[in-house]
Order: sequence, then C-alpha cells, then structure tokens
Amino acid sequence: MLLLLDILTTAAILFVVAIGLLAVFGVLKIINFAHGAWLTIGAYCAVVTGKLGLNPWAALPIAFVVGAALGGLAEYVIIRPLYRRPLDAILATWGLGIVVGQLITLAFGRDVQLTPNLLSGTVEILGTGYSAYRLVALVAALVIGAVFALVIERTRLGLSARAVIMNETLARSLGLDTARVRLVVFMIGAGLAALAGVLLTPLTSVDPTMGVGWLIGAFMLVMVADTSFLALAAACLVFGAAQVLVSTFVSPVLGSIAVAVLAALVLRISPKGFSRA
Amino acid sequence: MPETTQRDGTGGLVLDGVSSGYGAVAIVKGVSLRVGPGEIVALLGKNGMGKTTLLKTILGLVALRAGSIAIDGRSVAGLSPARLVALGIGYAPQEQPLFQDLSIRDNLRLALASDRLLPEALDRVFGHFPFLKDRLAQRAGTLSGGEQKMLILARALMLRPRLLLIDEISEGLQPSVVDRIAAALTAERAASGTAMLIVEQNLGFALKVADRWAALKLGEIDDEGGIDGTARERILGHLSV
Repeated sequence: MLLLLDILTTAAILFVVAIGLLAVFGVLKIINFAHGAWLTIGAYCAVVTGKLGLNPWAALPIAFVVGAALGGLAEYVIIRPLYRRPLDAILATWGLGIVVGQLITLAFGRDVQLTPNLLSGTVEILGTGYSAYRLVALVAALVIGAVFALVIERTRLGLSARAVIMNETLARSLGLDTARVRLVVFMIGAGLAALAGVLLTPLTSVDPTMGVGWLIGAFMLVMVADTSFLALAAACLVFGAAQVLVSTFVSPVLGSIAVAVLAALVLRISPKGFSRA
Repeated sequence: MPETTQRDGTGGLVLDGVSSGYGAVAIVKGVSLRVGPGEIVALLGKNGMGKTTLLKTILGLVALRAGSIAIDGRSVAGLSPARLVALGIGYAPQEQPLFQDLSIRDNLRLALASDRLLPEALDRVFGHFPFLKDRLAQRAGTLSGGEQKMLILARALMLRPRLLLIDEISEGLQPSVVDRIAAALTAERAASGTAMLIVEQNLGFALKVADRWAALKLGEIDDEGGIDGTARERILGHLSV
C-alpha cells in the first residue's frame, strides 16, 4: 500500500514537472531546455515569499504569474526571432537556462535556500504514517491535469493550440494568429514550470541548479509521450513505478536513472513512444 | 452576375506582376490577373505550374517577391494570413486540408475568430451541405472523400468571404458531388456576390462555374479568355501533355 502511494505520488510529481514542457513541445515544436530554470525560478519565488513573511501557499499563484510573465518575455525576445530555425531556438533555450541560473546565483548566492514548509506532518493510512505533503502533491497533480484537460478540450485557446499542434500551416491559412497561440502556450508552460518549482520545494533542496535533474527526467517523459497529455500521464505512472521499485528494492542511485534508461529503451523499441497506445 | 458589379476599375482582386517562390526557386513569375467583384475566374494548368503557390502567395502564406496584390483597391502585400482572412479571404486548400482528428464542428469553428458567430455561420453552410448538420460530432478524418471536400468548402464559406480561393476542390470526385459543389459555389456567389479564384484541372467543372479562365504555364499566364465557344478547345491545349 505504501509502495503504491509512493508510486502514485512520484508519478504525480513527474507529471507536474513535465506538463509545461509537453505543452510547449506540442505547440512550438521545440524542447524548452530553460524549463529547468523556470522550475528554479518558481522555487525561488517560494524562497522570496517566505522572506516576505507571506503565507507559504501564496507562492503558488505568485510563481505562476512570475513564471508566465518571464516566459512571455523570453518567448518574445529570444524564441520568436528563431522561429524558422528550431535547432537554434532549442540551443537558445539551453543558453537561457544557464543565464537564468547565473542570475539567480548572483541574486541569492550558491547556497541551498530554506523555504517555509507548505505542509508538514503525516497522515495515518492503514496504520502507518504517510507524508501529508506527498498526498497534497498527488491532489495538485490531479487538479492541474484536470484543469489542463478542460482548457485543451473545452476552450477556444485549447482548440487553437490543438489546431497548431496538428497542422500549423492549415491553422495559419484559416486565419489563426499562430504567433499569439505560441506566446500564450509558452507563457502557460513557463507558469506551470514555476508552479511545479514551488511544489518541489518541500521534496528537494533549493539551489540555483536544482532544475537540471528534473529537466532531464521531464525531457525523457515528453519524448516518450510525444504531444499527448494522456500518454504523459501513463508514462509518468510507468516510469514513476520503475523509479520507486528500483529505488526500494535495488538501489536509490539506480532508481534515479531508471526514468532515463527506461525512456531510452521505450524509444528504441517504439519510436512513437506511448502516444500510440 | 448582377449588373451592378463593377467589371473595370479597382474592385476585387488585382494581381500585378506577382512573383514568388521557395528558397532559390522562383515558382510564380510576374503574374498579372484580375478577379472582379462577384466574378469567378478559373486558373488552369498542369501539375507543378505554380497554381497552388499563387494562391498561397495571395493569402500571405508564401512571401511576395515582386509585384503587387490589391483587394478592393487596397494593397495587401506583406499582410499576415490572419489579417487577410479578417479582410474576408476564404481559402479551401488542397493538401492536408482538414484537421483529421478534430470533429466536423471544431473544423468549422476554426474558420471563425469567435464562437459568437458560430450558430449563424453554421446555419448558412448547412444550407449548402445539409449532411453536415447531423454529423457535427463526427471526426473529419472518417468522412468519405467527397464529404471531406464539401467540408473544406463549407469551412471556407463560414466567414462569408468576399474573395474565395479554391484549390482543386473537384479532384477525385464523382460527377454528382462535383455538381453539388458547383451548385454551392454559384448559389453563394448569387447570395453574397463572392469573387472566386478557382484552381482546377477538371475542365467541365471550370467551364460550368467560371466567367473567365486563365492558363498558368511554368509560373506565367500563358493564355486567358472568357467562357465562350472556343474556351474548351483552347484550355484543352494547355492541359494536354
């Protein structure tokens, strides 16, 4: 039972971290390697929120807004001019990630930062205590996934985004302002990354390079999921399970690379990943 | 053709010395052509002559390299497709023309900038193609070839365009469907005074709906004329290998 909870909550955290990357990949057709930096920005929003003495939960909306605003700026200034050179755009996001990391180091130093606890303590489940916060993370992932699905399936923006994902030329020829769709989706993806950064603070140390490890995992998950967010949820469950099981029964070190190894294997066997399932 | 429509002057679509292409390759070379308000002009020619590229250039999907494009006296060169569609250009493309995985309803929705106008626009296109009405939730990719073509045209008509660009809408269709499409085009023109530039290889269809024709050969207008007794012979000469 505890193992199952571990798997579910691990998958939930992977999902929260990867979903913004997936949205950007689908619509802009680039992997945003600055995604990890935006996770870090979100985590530092939690740090600042704590220093200002605000309610720790206020960091969630603050991070989303700050992340989306900075994301919009990055899309407009850096990514949009490189739209016709996707490889250069990907390289630019990598550089942007480094710059953001350095700026954070300049402002806050290299040290690990402490953040206020969002929620501490345990919940009694079947006679054992289980981290209350990990359950909150699970709920957060379900809420984010549900809102994301609603926006994609039920709103005009979601329809426009799907149209751009499926056939951008056709979307353009029907008069869709595809540049605007790309901007808005990038802002949402960046905002979600920052939000995930806040949600990570109780689980990981906050320092200027914290996003890198998560970025690699999220990148692998998106490669396997292609552009389908249901496939992403499935991939998170499978890979989260692998990570938890390997960590528990073999070794935590191997567990942390389970996602990368499994993703490579899946893509070797089925280049379309989980999206065909 | 309503008598009030102006045949001369600056109304409608006016192309003057239009050139465009991809990379180092020039596809369209100095095309001058006019489609007056409410006029239907058929653009004919063999494959690879630049017909589709010319339509894409008018819609701003391919950059204009030389010449000018005006709609109702206003230069539209360099405008984005979004602006041109907002100005009233409808486009029925030939290649990958539908969002296969989206419903008929969503395909039609995407032609409009806002859902507020949807019920009225749907009613209008149901008038042309009633079968769409009961199948709005069906995925576009599951329609038959003829139904897909009718959906493409219906989507282009959603905005009630003043200029319609149509790329080989009759391709691969059985005669009864071609007739339905021809009827829809002439009905739309009669109701809204829509100007149309239709790229075709189906001579019978072109002769049926068009007022004038032009033949494109290697990116240039090779020949043009009205739909009269000699049109069939002359066009056949341009379409034969």
